[in-house]
Amino acid sequence: MGASSAEISAPARAETATARPRARARWRRLLPWAAGVLVLLACLGLQTQLYTGQERTVTTIFMFVALAQAWNIIGGFAGYASFGQVVFFGIGGYSTAVVMYHLQLNFWLALVLSGLLAAAFGALIGLPLLRLKGHYFAIATLGVAEGMREVVNNVPGLTGGGAGISIPTVGPRASTPYLGNDGFYILFLLLAALAVLVGGLVSRSKFGLALRAINQDEDAAGSMGVNTTRVKVAAFTLSGFLVGLVGASYAFQQVTIFPERLFDVDITVLMVMMVVIGGSGTVLGPLLGAVGLQYVSEYLRQHYTDLHTFILGAIIIAAVVLVPQGVVTYAREATRTRDFSLLGNVRRYRL
Amino acid sequence: MRLSTLLVITSACALALSGCGSKGAAQSDAGSDTLTLGAAVSLTGKLAREGGLTKEGYELCQSKVNAAGGVPVGGKKLKLDIQYQDDTSKPDTAAQLVEQFNDKDVKLILSSYGSANSEAQAAVVERNGQVMADSAGADNKIFEKGYRRTFAVLSPATEYLASIVKSIAELAKPKPKTIAFVSADDGFSKTATEGGIAEATKQGFTVLPAQYVPNGTSDVSSALTKLKGQRPDVIIGSVHLVEGIAIIKQAHELGVTPSGGFGESVAPPTPDFAKTLGGQAENVLGSSQWTDTVKGQDKYFGTAKQYSDDIQAKYGHLPDYHDAEATAACLALVLAAEKAGSTEPDKVRDALAGLDTESFFGRIKFDQTGKNVSKPMSVIQIQDGKAVTVWPTEAAESKFVWPGAKQ
Amino acid sequence: MTALAQATLYGLLQGGLLALVAVGFSLVWGVMNIINVAQGAFVILGAYVAWELNSALGLDPFLGMFGAAAVLFVLGYVVQRGLINLIVNAPIYLTLLLTFGLDLMLVQGMNIAFTADFRSIPTSYAGNSIALGDVRVPLGRLLAFAVAVAVTLLLVAMVNRTRTGLSIMATGMDRGAARLMGIRARHVYALTFGLSAALAGMAGAMVGTVGTFNPAAAGGYTLLSFVVAVLGGLGNMYGALVGGLVIGLVEAWAGQYLSGTWVNAFAFLALIVVLVLRPSGLVGRAFYATRVEV
Repeated sequence: MGASSAEISAPARAETATARPRARARWRRLLPWAAGVLVLLACLGLQTQLYTGQERTVTTIFMFVALAQAWNIIGGFAGYASFGQVVFFGIGGYSTAVVMYHLQLNFWLALVLSGLLAAAFGALIGLPLLRLKGHYFAIATLGVAEGMREVVNNVPGLTGGGAGISIPTVGPRASTPYLGNDGFYILFLLLAALAVLVGGLVSRSKFGLALRAINQDEDAAGSMGVNTTRVKVAAFTLSGFLVGLVGASYAFQQVTIFPERLFDVDITVLMVMMVVIGGSGTVLGPLLGAVGLQYVSEYLRQHYTDLHTFILGAIIIAAVVLVPQGVVTYAREATRTRDFSLLGNVRRYRL
Repeated sequence: MRLSTLLVITSACALALSGCGSKGAAQSDAGSDTLTLGAAVSLTGKLAREGGLTKEGYELCQSKVNAAGGVPVGGKKLKLDIQYQDDTSKPDTAAQLVEQFNDKDVKLILSSYGSANSEAQAAVVERNGQVMADSAGADNKIFEKGYRRTFAVLSPATEYLASIVKSIAELAKPKPKTIAFVSADDGFSKTATEGGIAEATKQGFTVLPAQYVPNGTSDVSSALTKLKGQRPDVIIGSVHLVEGIAIIKQAHELGVTPSGGFGESVAPPTPDFAKTLGGQAENVLGSSQWTDTVKGQDKYFGTAKQYSDDIQAKYGHLPDYHDAEATAACLALVLAAEKAGSTEPDKVRDALAGLDTESFFGRIKFDQTGKNVSKPMSVIQIQDGKAVTVWPTEAAESKFVWPGAKQ
Repeated sequence: MTALAQATLYGLLQGGLLALVAVGFSLVWGVMNIINVAQGAFVILGAYVAWELNSALGLDPFLGMFGAAAVLFVLGYVVQRGLINLIVNAPIYLTLLLTFGLDLMLVQGMNIAFTADFRSIPTSYAGNSIALGDVRVPLGRLLAFAVAVAVTLLLVAMVNRTRTGLSIMATGMDRGAARLMGIRARHVYALTFGLSAALAGMAGAMVGTVGTFNPAAAGGYTLLSFVVAVLGGLGNMYGALVGGLVIGLVEAWAGQYLSGTWVNAFAFLALIVVLVLRPSGLVGRAFYATRVEV
């Protein structure tokens, strides 16, 4: 939310000022993109420093960055909290696995195909489901995700059912050589970068403004000329496309996939948590949320083998109570109003 | 905008800096007088129960081997050390943990619980040149992929139900005519069902169409209601603990009473089964990877009975076969290191491939694909609330009670 | 034909149990717009309490369920008053995350305290069944069904006749107005959550008697609560009962005519169809989806 006000005010101020402030304003607007490129290069450089296991951890972080950013488009900007987002993950993953297994299709083709299939599914179910609001929408999408998992479970001829399906990576049936840890690091990094880029573009575009308008007051937005149905379905489809791409890459990375993992509701919950704890409706929020949460849960799992879930639960509760608007939004508002009190947060939101 | 850009730049630098730090933190082995094994087990999540038993098995192995002075490898006695991580019952986490063990130079791996996790780990082990002793992944499909670095000490999935069918064919008088299979829909259960159906057909039984239930469900009433009308003589379940208990409970509720009773793959040998079902569990057959009457002994654990006493003493309960198979996997790695005279993964791998030894678990010898086909599974039966071995007859503690004989 | 009759009866009884599991969830969501992801954990905790009472004191679970209810009530009250009340005014899905964290802590806590063993509360009668012609009526499930119906009726009566019940409904309809009328919203919210937890505890005692449980089973019950509550509809105390019965029947019939593995898919299909055609659920009250709170 803070981002939009800063962006609206910056050009307005520049217009009425002289040339030097105008250049400064343009530099200020380009700075986030430059910073993004810097981060991308840093991550590429990081790869040379990491061991295989750490590389996999960071790869997982990139995966969640992409997922969180994708969720943010429908859940953060538009305010339609989808709790079944993992259905696109699963559809993307299984599409890739099925075409690579049965048709020996090249992975890169399968990747694009999976993204498109996931997007098509999003458009298809988006139309009826986006009429629901609030918690009902969340549960309906959850139902779709769980239902899809059961469907995949029950067509073993196509998907292997509960026994899972393996993408051929060795031998004559393998269409694409396995990318290896390094290859997947780059792939997921690029996916994360794509997701952040899309998130950034959406945030600054008229489309993003429309989404935010719908979030604040859908009826008012409709009466201002925003075609709410088209905009919502577009957001849902876009989000689905990105998640589908990630799912496809994940399936190739895992080689053998099972329905209960590819359609696991925990993945959606993690996506939501990262966005919310980071700061929903911002571009930076899901990024930081994904990195922070993955890192914390990985650290806890390695060092507190017996208690890690317990501690993670306590941390989540603390984060939600103390910083309900998300870390990034909190930081922005706090620096703006010079009020850093966390307890003030609590006082503001409690009953 | 300025603040967030600042944040971005700071985190980018932090990332880059942390990257610089990692190379220096290379973990070296704690001296060359330990044999380190890596074990990613399911301590939380839906496999927590079995994962806990697996960890018990590994821990007992560690304490017994170290109590005997350690593993004699190439003239030195190495202390056995097992590093544990929690894979939260998820296959991809289990695989990731094997990678992380590889980073820390831990090349000898003990598997997680279950076929899904073990399969995921086997793929990684193969790629990294590590070696894995599989304690609990029995699905034959793991061994049809051409892996050369995973060795399973337990009998493959197809044996689970086939052994029950064989025991019925051999010992049930009068011999029943029809058998019905109820199976969970995960990979392991389906493979076991295939093995059971194949054996039943071979033995001349009429096999009714198999009923499938969702994996992990506690409601199998639909399958049982459908079977009630078909009146099978025996109902055999290819299931895990939850479905296994549900089958018996709900059959009782629905009045499904096959004359020959029930047999199940994984559930009956566990203590929870008899405890939760009480009298209803009586005379249910089960297949087990191991019971305490198995013949064979080794220098660390003695006989099966001695192993059972050790578990009882250390953990306060009678061992489940999950404990035993875990210990056996650890034992296999230990013996292979001893035989190879080295902890180099390739040498240990070759030693494992050529291993042929008796143990408290039975005979441990692997075929070319890494399966242990030289150890038969035991069939147990619940008698007076306890699981007793009834087949093979050489290892039987008690006579096979055939419910169908009471007619 | 017998198979269908048996399946129908079993489905109805199962539905009653599902209703009991979900009624607390529906209450909390309908009145306070809070999604309690830890519902399943409350149910399993109730099962453990009843189990402990049974093994320590030999208490029959149908009596032990009151003990479970009492313990869970206290837990629920404290959690609401101390934690959830702190974020009631924040965006609504934050309560989801908070209860998710709570769920993680509870499930892992139970894992450590009770180990992951599967348990069941033994009774001498729950596994038996009465024969009605060719159809068998399992006793334990029949009693659980009776408890579910009784609880729903009591809840309806409480909400319509007692002061506490009326204040709960009033706070649910319009918190601002209720506070202006002198209702202590913090206390009422805590009461509601405590009541919901108590109901979950009772359901847990039932679940423990007719089936088996261990900490990992919690997630399944939460998912079931979602489906049943939404299908039935919020804002109406009969919603959970209706939703439970429908799901029970759908699953039983799907299991009979298709392979048993399609059962869950059909439950979700039923949910989606109902939501698309009747967004507020089968018997729910429409305005509950779009309330604005003060």
